[in-house]
Amino acid sequence: MMMMMKRPPEAGEILQGTLDMLILRTLVLGPAHGHTIAQAIERTSENALEVEQGSLYPALHRLEDRDWVTSEWGVSENNRKAKFYRLTKKGRKELNAARGRWQRMTRAIGLILGESFE
Amino acid sequence: MSLRRFRNRTGKDQDFAEEIESHLDHEKDANLARGLSVEEARRQAHLRFGNPRTVRERVWRYRSFAWTEDLLRDLRFALRSLAKTPGFAMIAVVVIAVGIGVNTAVFSVIDTVLLKPLTYPSPQELVSLVNTGPRGSFPGASIPMFNLWHQQTSIFQQVAAYDFGGAGLNITGSDHPQQVEGVHVSADYFAMFGAPVIAGRTFTAAEDSPNGGHVTVLSYGLWKSRYGGNPNMVGSTIQLDGQPYLVVGVIGPGFQTDAPVDLWVPFQFDPNSKDMVFFFTAAARLKPGVSVPQANAQLRLAADQFRRMFGADSLPPGGGFGVVSLQQEVVGDTGSRLLVLLGAVAFVLLIACANVANLLLARAAARKREFATRAALGAGRGQIIRQLLVESLTLSLTGGLIGLGLGFAGVRLLLRINPGDIPRIGEDGAGITLDLRILLFTLGISLLTGIVFGLVPAISASRANLAVALNENGSHASMGVRSGKLRSVLVIAEMALTVVLVVGAALLIRTFMNLEAVDPGFTMHNVISMSMSVSGDRFQKTAPVAQIIQEGTDRLHGVPGVINAGVSNCLPMAGGFGMTFDVVGRPKGNSPFTGGAGFCSISYGYFNTLEVPLVRGRTFTKLDDSAAPIVAIINKSMARQYWPNGDPLKDRIVIGAGAGPAFAEGSRQIVGIVGDTHDGGPNNDPAPMMYIPLAQMPDLETALNSRVAPLWWFARTQVDPRTLSTPISTALREASGGLPVAHIRTMEEIEAENIARQRLNMLLLTVFGFAGLLMAAIGVYGVMSYSVQQRTQELGVRMALGAQASNLRNMVIRQGMTLTLIGVLIGAGGAFWLTRFLAGFLFEVKPLDPVSFIATPLVLSVVALFSIWVPAIRATRVDPMAALRIE
Repeated sequence: MMMMMKRPPEAGEILQGTLDMLILRTLVLGPAHGHTIAQAIERTSENALEVEQGSLYPALHRLEDRDWVTSEWGVSENNRKAKFYRLTKKGRKELNAARGRWQRMTRAIGLILGESFE
Repeated sequence: MSLRRFRNRTGKDQDFAEEIESHLDHEKDANLARGLSVEEARRQAHLRFGNPRTVRERVWRYRSFAWTEDLLRDLRFALRSLAKTPGFAMIAVVVIAVGIGVNTAVFSVIDTVLLKPLTYPSPQELVSLVNTGPRGSFPGASIPMFNLWHQQTSIFQQVAAYDFGGAGLNITGSDHPQQVEGVHVSADYFAMFGAPVIAGRTFTAAEDSPNGGHVTVLSYGLWKSRYGGNPNMVGSTIQLDGQPYLVVGVIGPGFQTDAPVDLWVPFQFDPNSKDMVFFFTAAARLKPGVSVPQANAQLRLAADQFRRMFGADSLPPGGGFGVVSLQQEVVGDTGSRLLVLLGAVAFVLLIACANVANLLLARAAARKREFATRAALGAGRGQIIRQLLVESLTLSLTGGLIGLGLGFAGVRLLLRINPGDIPRIGEDGAGITLDLRILLFTLGISLLTGIVFGLVPAISASRANLAVALNENGSHASMGVRSGKLRSVLVIAEMALTVVLVVGAALLIRTFMNLEAVDPGFTMHNVISMSMSVSGDRFQKTAPVAQIIQEGTDRLHGVPGVINAGVSNCLPMAGGFGMTFDVVGRPKGNSPFTGGAGFCSISYGYFNTLEVPLVRGRTFTKLDDSAAPIVAIINKSMARQYWPNGDPLKDRIVIGAGAGPAFAEGSRQIVGIVGDTHDGGPNNDPAPMMYIPLAQMPDLETALNSRVAPLWWFARTQVDPRTLSTPISTALREASGGLPVAHIRTMEEIEAENIARQRLNMLLLTVFGFAGLLMAAIGVYGVMSYSVQQRTQELGVRMALGAQASNLRNMVIRQGMTLTLIGVLIGAGGAFWLTRFLAGFLFEVKPLDPVSFIATPLVLSVVALFSIWVPAIRATRVDPMAALRIE
């Protein structure tokens, strides 16, 4: 489902569509709940990316509807109730495809932009 | 796209709420770990996450069809908004309910009569066998024809014969003799119609041959009502007209014939018969894959064969055989009549639409600020139109639902009061049942109606100029000139449509009045009639029939209150038999006979009882019996047509020469001329008629007659004849040795049945016309009151400047009447063109009847004037001070 971009993305805001890929990538390491996923993305990107938490959950639910992840309730490291998401085989395949697409695109954009102009 | 996302939304939302809780807790934990206070940790967590409700809504919406959500919201809003103006909502719903109700009513009849297939299996294969000729085709068959058709096995699976109407049979042999609808059929009848046999069997070919024995098959109804559903009925014997009949089978309740049948007996046709008399009907089931044209081609060959077998004169010149679909034959000319009614109700619906559109426009004007505010808050034009359409659809669907009930109950009620001579609708319209087609039709026109009357006001409302609307004083915000014009156009349209409807109604009312005014040729008042079936072996000769007539007549004269009594084998005003005749000694030219005329056998008391005037000569007396010279009486039409110059009383005629052995007799002296009676119904001119005494019928003719027609008894009474029906029927039963009578009706009731069709047409169109008139009056009233209300200030200023009250009143009246007159003129033009479609339904009224075309616009204008009067008077009551102060 494409949305019209209403304003230019600010630095640090995650591009629409890329969040899915980042979530799937995070789950390669093992099942995790929403809070962990957000923290993992932020930490792994050295805090360059900030996950808008309001978007995280709609994305997770969308991924679940597409059978890329499954979810079940469990107990977190803090001994709290939490919903854990697990990558499915289908999700793994999608992640690889998305990664390929992303790398092709960044390479292409990189070729066009080339060196810094400063 | 997986549908899973739409499933179990509430459950998933609940789950998500918990997930968010869990997330916030984890975030709080993280914040606590960073050393924040409990309170601050919680606050930060919430701050970071944003509004959980918004996120939940986002997921909720993702899991929904966006438009259904919007629609529900619009619907809630529409209901709220309509509830705020219950008066408006009620009027609108009632108007729509009436409009849709009449459409549902007429459509449900059309559905039953024209659209529903016959109830027999594979009804499309069933055809009626007809006689074709240069002047159209008609049903009816003789035994030689049937025998030949029966041999056409290359095109027909089965061919079956059955009685037209039948003479009725009497179940005897108990204390309660009963006249029943006993129908003669040929053996294939049951197989052809697919009649379900629930006990025993149907007739064998042997049983349907001469000397095949006395056997009968019972209907489910008779089996239940007379024999209490006795399981041992098959194999038992019942008495019909004094003869034992073996019951061989019972037919199941699912078998519905067009006219009710109590039991069946076999025809037992002679395969070598040369009897050319038509006295039954035949139908056939086509072989699968055989088309009607193919069957007709084969039957053309059969007609040639028939001429070779029975002589060139056995069929009229240019005559032959053919088939028509049985459904078409049953429905007859009812189709065009129903389509005219459908046209009329479509007009009613259009008027209703115009009316509601008008109300909606007025309402939209009052809500102008509401729309402007909504537009200012960001609602697009599409959204406002959608909102208003949802409102109008809410109205139309509610109205449609009520209309469905109204129309359905209404049509049943109406047909109970007046069956109107419509085939296939069952007793009192009981055959009309609700089916999917009717539901879809009503739903369809409800939706269409809602869009038609809703779209124009919606578009007009959405056009509102924001700034102007918001700045304008709310109390008299107007929709401007445009909507005023629109409303005027709607009123003109209503008026025009109403004129067409009312002109149609006026024509049909005049038709009905003319029909009622027709002199039937005899005195109907205080005459009762009843049928006596003389079908048994006892009555195969003329003498015993003549004896019953004599004894019955004598007995009836003894019943207090009875003035006169007579008998006939045909019912006045209900059609009858036709027969050829020769005038003795008159050259016939190329024709095989002198001419043809209606033919009726009567008792000596018949003319006196019905008070048919004697023009010349004498009527029959008791002395005209089998021993006396045979005589005939003719009517005025026959005398005029066949003796334009001569004197019929000097001539003798031979009736039915060449019509078969049953009619072989000598020449009859014409002894009298009587007045004309309308035997073909009041809307047909009197036809030439020949009468002979029942006592002088040839024996074979009496035998044939006993199978095709009952004896009709008539008694003229001093008091209301209904009060004497018991003593009369008792006297007749005693006189006849126990024969029961049935079909007890007064002549006035028979007359009413004769014109039931025209009365139904008239009643319906009058109701439609009246509904249209009422709605048009409301329409013009609405527009004028609104216009007066809009112009309060203007009127106040005029008044302050010295205008007289009468000037203002006249001004309003002039405006209202201008709209009315334009509408009436357009309507008269429309009626001028449309009434031609009514021509076939009229009697002694021209489609361009000046009375209808002058009276209708007058009546309409007067009604409109009354509706305009109220707002006009209101205009004169404007208080100039109050009006000016509003500014």
